[in-house]
Amino acid sequence: MARQYEVERFYADEAALLDARRYRDWLALLADDIRYWMPVRRTRTTNELDGEFTRQGDMAFFDDDRKMLEIRVKRIESGYAWAEDPPSRTRHLVTNVRIVYDVEGTMTVESNFHLHRSRLNSEEDNWLGMRRDTLRRVEGKFLIASRHVFLEQTLLLSRNLSNFF
Amino acid sequence: MREDPAIDYRSFVDARAGTVDRRIFSDQAIHDEEMERIFARCWNFMCHESQIPRAGDFFLNFIGQDSVIATRDRKGGLQVFLNSCRHRGNAVCRADSGRVKSFLCTYHGWTYDLEGKLVGVPGHKSFYHEDLERDKWGLVRAAKVESYKGFVFATMDPETPPLEEYLGPVGRMGLSMAAAHGDVMVVDGVQKNVIGCNWKLAVDNLFDWYHVQISHASAPLSGYLPKLPYKDEDHIVALGEYGHAISGPRTTPEIRAALAGASTAVPLVDERWRDTPEAMAALGPVGVASRGHPNIFPNLWIASSGVQLCLRIPRGPLSTEIWWFTMLDKNMPEDRRRASVERMNHTFGPAGILEQDDGENWSQSTLATRSALARRHPLNFAMNLGRGEIVERQPGVASIDTHINEHAQLWTYRAWADWMTAKDWPALKCDHAMPTGVV
Repeated sequence: MARQYEVERFYADEAALLDARRYRDWLALLADDIRYWMPVRRTRTTNELDGEFTRQGDMAFFDDDRKMLEIRVKRIESGYAWAEDPPSRTRHLVTNVRIVYDVEGTMTVESNFHLHRSRLNSEEDNWLGMRRDTLRRVEGKFLIASRHVFLEQTLLLSRNLSNFF
Repeated sequence: MREDPAIDYRSFVDARAGTVDRRIFSDQAIHDEEMERIFARCWNFMCHESQIPRAGDFFLNFIGQDSVIATRDRKGGLQVFLNSCRHRGNAVCRADSGRVKSFLCTYHGWTYDLEGKLVGVPGHKSFYHEDLERDKWGLVRAAKVESYKGFVFATMDPETPPLEEYLGPVGRMGLSMAAAHGDVMVVDGVQKNVIGCNWKLAVDNLFDWYHVQISHASAPLSGYLPKLPYKDEDHIVALGEYGHAISGPRTTPEIRAALAGASTAVPLVDERWRDTPEAMAALGPVGVASRGHPNIFPNLWIASSGVQLCLRIPRGPLSTEIWWFTMLDKNMPEDRRRASVERMNHTFGPAGILEQDDGENWSQSTLATRSALARRHPLNFAMNLGRGEIVERQPGVASIDTHINEHAQLWTYRAWADWMTAKDWPALKCDHAMPTGVV
């Protein structure tokens, strides 16, 4: 139970950083070897569900290493990232946290998320899905060593993906 | 055949003043007529042949706002059907891709084979008393389906000229840029998202090298794109009949070598594929030199130096689906393939460093075509107007040597007005803008 509580607190703190636009502090939660990946999802019949998501190495919405994530943060900070300037107002809700694997300080954790984005006067976007993270315990703290983000939508109903999941 | 239009579409596009009436970007009646006069008549991009290599492989796409199935029959032929059962109209295919033996309507079980023939009707004997003539109730098939260098197109109009003739030298050059990268196949995963903009504003943008320094200013500032080792000062515009065009920077072997040197550290397309005899044979000197963006009228952008295609699908006047297809040589070494795929993933698509900022511009532009006051004032496409001398540097290819300009955008709108005015293909053939003189 303590472990569950610790992971949930970690996600709440992480979400608070993103929603407060503290992207540099958020980057500090990521391992140097992080892979941040959001595959393309397809609408498939039941007997072809093995092809529902693209595989690593094929097309993806995000397929980032740490350097690429830092570029994304630097982009937002540039003052010329119009998709986020004026900045979006986001709220990350992270629920249904499940530790599915925990061996020698490395955990696989699945959670559900709802990312709500309010933008300009009346723009609104909602992304729901599942995250599968690898959390690594380093000196008593967690680092995110990988994050796989599985959105529900196959046709994204938003004009862009300019926020972090 | 449509009746002669009550609306004077040519009045919306003033090629002399370089202006376009804002109403064409949000008016519902104009949009509905576009579906009839453009999308129901043109060649529409469906998919690349590598996406449907085997019998029963299918890829769902659109012709205008009609859902269509692109598939391959048992004889290896390409087939395109309206995705609508002839009984009650239900979709006969609801996955967006995959493989089937036949298309089963989930409403009452009418079943169609891979050539669209109605082969199964539950109760054909007991309820229909065999009165239903099954051979008359097959899926509605495209009038023509043709492939150019592996790129599959369909048209619903039997009068549409053959694909190669429709493409003309400029359209063929554009697709040849995409085909010039070896034995290409589509990388798994078509990225799809929706932008709240009119489809024409998205198309217009692909020729727009003026917006890059402002819209995409964050790309160099974030360290994603390097400062270029040269200046993109010289541009080539190629204009084709029926609205095809290519517009963008002119490259030279020296620029390509400099770019390739820079791309070891940064994500840019290596342009040295142009320096081969095969590229020269397929594209000619204008095509080899043009690093510009082709558009196959109406809505297929050939992007990333021919490695990606971006399709802009109208969903009503105020909404457009953006689909990205990425194509690489199937024999590419794994490390290069991986690097190329990552580069495309990072550059375009809704999370792409270059694309994130486009959508808001286009949607705000679209919004300002609806309101009473803003729409009184036309949009301006007058850059370099009256200074673009069309020459024939390559047989059959009308091109302009210039700098950043808006010729291709205005050309697209002129062609749009031609398409909207013509009551049928014979009328369009004899009455459309020709790329000659000074524009």
